[in-house]
Amino acid sequence: MKQFWAIVAREWRAYFLSPLAYVILAAFLGLNGYVFTVILAVLNEPSAPKDQALLYLFANGFTSWFNLFVIPIIAMRLFPEERRSGTIEVLLTSPVTEGEVVLAKFTGALGFFLTLWAPSLIYVWILRAHAPIDLGPVAAAYLGIVLLGGYFVSVGTFASTLTKNQIVAAIVTFAFLVPIFSTGLLDYLIRDPSNREKLNYVNMWVHLEEFARGVVDTRRIVYYVSATALFLFLATASLAAKKETP
Amino acid sequence: MIEVQNLTKRYPTQLAVSDVTFSVREGEIVGFLGPNGAGKTTTMRVLTGFLPPSTGTARVAGFDIVSQSRRARASLGYLPESAALYPEMRVREYLAYRARLENVTGADVRTRVEEAVESCLLTEVADRKIENLSKGYRQRTALAGALVHRPPVLILDEPTVGLDPMQIIKIREMIRTLGRERAVLLSTHILPEVDAVCDRVLIIDRGRIVAEGTPQELRRQLAGRPVVRARIKGKVAARESILKLPGVASVEETSDAAETRVRVECSDTDLSEEVFRLAVSQGWVLRELSPDVVSLEDVFVRLTRHESAAADEAAEAAGPAPAPEEGAES
Repeated sequence: MKQFWAIVAREWRAYFLSPLAYVILAAFLGLNGYVFTVILAVLNEPSAPKDQALLYLFANGFTSWFNLFVIPIIAMRLFPEERRSGTIEVLLTSPVTEGEVVLAKFTGALGFFLTLWAPSLIYVWILRAHAPIDLGPVAAAYLGIVLLGGYFVSVGTFASTLTKNQIVAAIVTFAFLVPIFSTGLLDYLIRDPSNREKLNYVNMWVHLEEFARGVVDTRRIVYYVSATALFLFLATASLAAKKETP
Repeated sequence: MIEVQNLTKRYPTQLAVSDVTFSVREGEIVGFLGPNGAGKTTTMRVLTGFLPPSTGTARVAGFDIVSQSRRARASLGYLPESAALYPEMRVREYLAYRARLENVTGADVRTRVEEAVESCLLTEVADRKIENLSKGYRQRTALAGALVHRPPVLILDEPTVGLDPMQIIKIREMIRTLGRERAVLLSTHILPEVDAVCDRVLIIDRGRIVAEGTPQELRRQLAGRPVVRARIKGKVAARESILKLPGVASVEETSDAAETRVRVECSDTDLSEEVFRLAVSQGWVLRELSPDVVSLEDVFVRLTRHESAAADEAAEAAGPAPAPEEGAES
């Protein structure tokens, strides 16, 4: 277990030792700041539905699209960097299993993604000082971010085991994430209600909105956790297979 | 500490290591010598668990590298070929990470890191970023990383490659010290390194071990008959006189107006003295008289070229007659 956390800590810290982390962090904060001002404008409007305000902080289109671009960038360096520098040999010949390595790297990357979100807690604190805020939906919304982030980062982790090239890893991740994103868009095309309901099982837009409204549905948790597990399993298998052909 | 039995590693397109058997005892430094692409790195990667073997078995510190892979890996320290490091980390930070990765915990991490820093002479750079270090310091950091958890077995892939002569001497000294209480397997294609560091040598060529022994043994095995070389002033007919000496197998002579050079192959013992006496009695002016020392280099070249020459012969026998240029080349 100590070995696992050693890898997680190194992975998480590595982000902050490259300029990329700060660029992403700055862009993300700028975007969140803009969204927050929009929320404030809504709250100032007497006719606006007040209980919907928090929805925008978590389930708005801006941040979701931002995730689509940022997560491939976060995950792309996980394995290609180790392969290029040769440190993968050190890592895989130390007494840890491939599964532990994959899980630790995934945790480190997810940790960085959640670090991006951490400053948004300030907005919740500011709002609380001026208006009554129900913390239940806030907690649910953050849970949604963790689950969705985990799923996307696991896809990126898998993609990064496939290649030595970071750009290729990012593009492969992107190619996986686009269909996941666009299932939500099918909502506009499908009329049949029973099909629409089936679609809702995998529609992340619906899920995010639910979480932001404070609805914690176990079906969603099962869906995200099992999808994450699947991609981490694939990553482990791919890493083990790569051993055969260095 | 390392026992390798009939180990074979096949890649999809080539046979990298073929039926290799050897062992390394505790307190022994074994050099793995071979030309580039001979299978040194592949063998080491199999031993460290980075690559699975195709057939055969190996044990590290008594643990099977396949069925007890984790425990085998826990007992070895590995320095990969490229001295792979994380450039953005500081030396102490990196060593602490390596120690934790090897299951060193708590206060031990600090003491082991300091121990490694001290033994690898890294004190003055211990808080610097790895990317700002010279190649020699990087290599030493990588070596420190391999031994920070005090493994009983060390596997070092070309530990001195790319270093300047002073650094090479320092690293070799360190390896000698480390080898006193550990089993060390190091690969190299630098011949003097083997002489300077290793107790025993394995010469590997095209995935096979072609010779094994101490550097002295290998020299003796391959030296053949003793040879004496002499340079004599002026053009003299030395060959006939030397051939009359008892115990001379053959004499080669080349001469020009200024000097005569002879190479005397003795059938049993070194005949330097006899040649000297002959020169005195004949009134030759000796400019040089020396026994021909077989260097490890000769042994190596002879062994590895022998192999390829044999292969060429086989190819020649099978195929059409070779072009004359090829013959001249070999």
